[in-house]
Amino acid sequence: MLLKPMVEPFRKYLQNKAMVRQEHLEEIMDMVIHKSIDKGEFLLQKGQVCTHSFFVLEGLVRFFSIDQEGKEHIVQFAPENWFISDRGSIFFGKPSEYFIDAIEPTHVVMLDSGFFHKATAISSEFRTYNEYLLQNHIRQLQNRINLLIGANAEIRYLDFLTLYPNITQRVPQWMVASYLGITPESLSRVRKGLLSKE
Amino acid sequence: MATRQIELVAAPRSPHFVGDGFRVHNFIPSGYCLDMKRMDPFIMLDYNSKFYFPPSDKPRGVDVHPHRGFETVTIAYKGKVAHHDSSGGGGIIGEGDVQWMTAASGVLHKEYHEETFSKEGGDFQMVQLWVNLPAKDKMSTPHYQGITNAMIPKVNLPGNGGTVEVIAGEWNGVKGAATTYSPVHLYNLKLNAGGKGSFSLPETYSTGLLVIEGSILVNGEVKVESDHFVLLENSGEEFTVESMTDATVLLLSGEPLHEPIVAHGPFVMNTHEEIVQAIDDFHSGKFGKLD
Repeated sequence: MLLKPMVEPFRKYLQNKAMVRQEHLEEIMDMVIHKSIDKGEFLLQKGQVCTHSFFVLEGLVRFFSIDQEGKEHIVQFAPENWFISDRGSIFFGKPSEYFIDAIEPTHVVMLDSGFFHKATAISSEFRTYNEYLLQNHIRQLQNRINLLIGANAEIRYLDFLTLYPNITQRVPQWMVASYLGITPESLSRVRKGLLSKE
Repeated sequence: MATRQIELVAAPRSPHFVGDGFRVHNFIPSGYCLDMKRMDPFIMLDYNSKFYFPPSDKPRGVDVHPHRGFETVTIAYKGKVAHHDSSGGGGIIGEGDVQWMTAASGVLHKEYHEETFSKEGGDFQMVQLWVNLPAKDKMSTPHYQGITNAMIPKVNLPGNGGTVEVIAGEWNGVKGAATTYSPVHLYNLKLNAGGKGSFSLPETYSTGLLVIEGSILVNGEVKVESDHFVLLENSGEEFTVESMTDATVLLLSGEPLHEPIVAHGPFVMNTHEEIVQAIDDFHSGKFGKLD
């Protein structure tokens, strides 16, 4: 196995979280590609077919769309140890409606379909874990839709804090507001309301 | 009673490192036919054959990892291991000691070479055996049995042949130190040169011998060298172990649980759904915290 110190956190993740066995790790770690991007640089832009899943080694990225009025809507953040991709674009081979860019200088691992085919073929642990990630992603999306259509801003903000602890210190307020689907002014009111309850 | 014959003598497979502190030969479940079903209720046996670790200021070992659904049994022959877990427990497993950890519903733990041993370096030799839990006990509360060598009953063999340390189960009416969830016999045979022990264990039990030191003669006919594992057939009850030299042998024998086994690394459950639950619980921090 080639020594790739930059991608070491991904190897540790596969070993400690996905429980992939040592002998399988050695086979699949050769297939990962490391990429560094600066703040504001894109991993995916609207109209491209997404060909990779990204695992964040260090830094922070966001997954967002831009509407007809030019307004950004953040669908997801991905800090360290998160996967991010346009699953629909990868799986169905269709141009993406989304952008992925870096909020901080970021290091990611790029994983193509060859990686997933190989890893799921040789490691039953990876197979189970990958399915878990997919199902967990669907669970989170359902929860997010449900909160967006039925919960008030405070409940949505509290849910955001649970899902992304410590991220409020890393992103501007307007991004959090965009994620929550409210104005920065409304977010400010929600925060003040919560402070007064303490 | 019929003699229990040898099914297989397994040579140690090439070693691999668990973390950076345990250089092990895996016998169960990856070696030869020693899979979880054949060896039921034993689901894993890693053997760190005697290996010299040079002095190190930073103790070598295995960092925080979870377990659910079974028991880990650590038997120290050379060297010392320190361990800590998410329930606040911890301790040192010294030479001749046994740690019997019932992970059950789940613990996070880490295992390292004990500090002084690490600083001085030395020979290290251990066995880690995983004993599956019956389905009804898999989600019970985790706990430890820290068994020092002094707590293990010892029975002398005739004619100054050596001693049998009864870690678990029973031998010749002497009960072992450990409590188990299903019938398991675990002995350390400490044989003097020329010593001989006769054993009679139920033929349905999965039964094997791991030669830790020296060389032995099984049933008076098959010579087995150190670091080899002897699997005995599931027919007949009686077998003998004689030592050609001073020898140490780990004897394991357990009643099969005959329950479905679904394993995912350190989670061993009965169904796929229970594995997914274990992964989810681990991710959401339900195994506790350990730095």
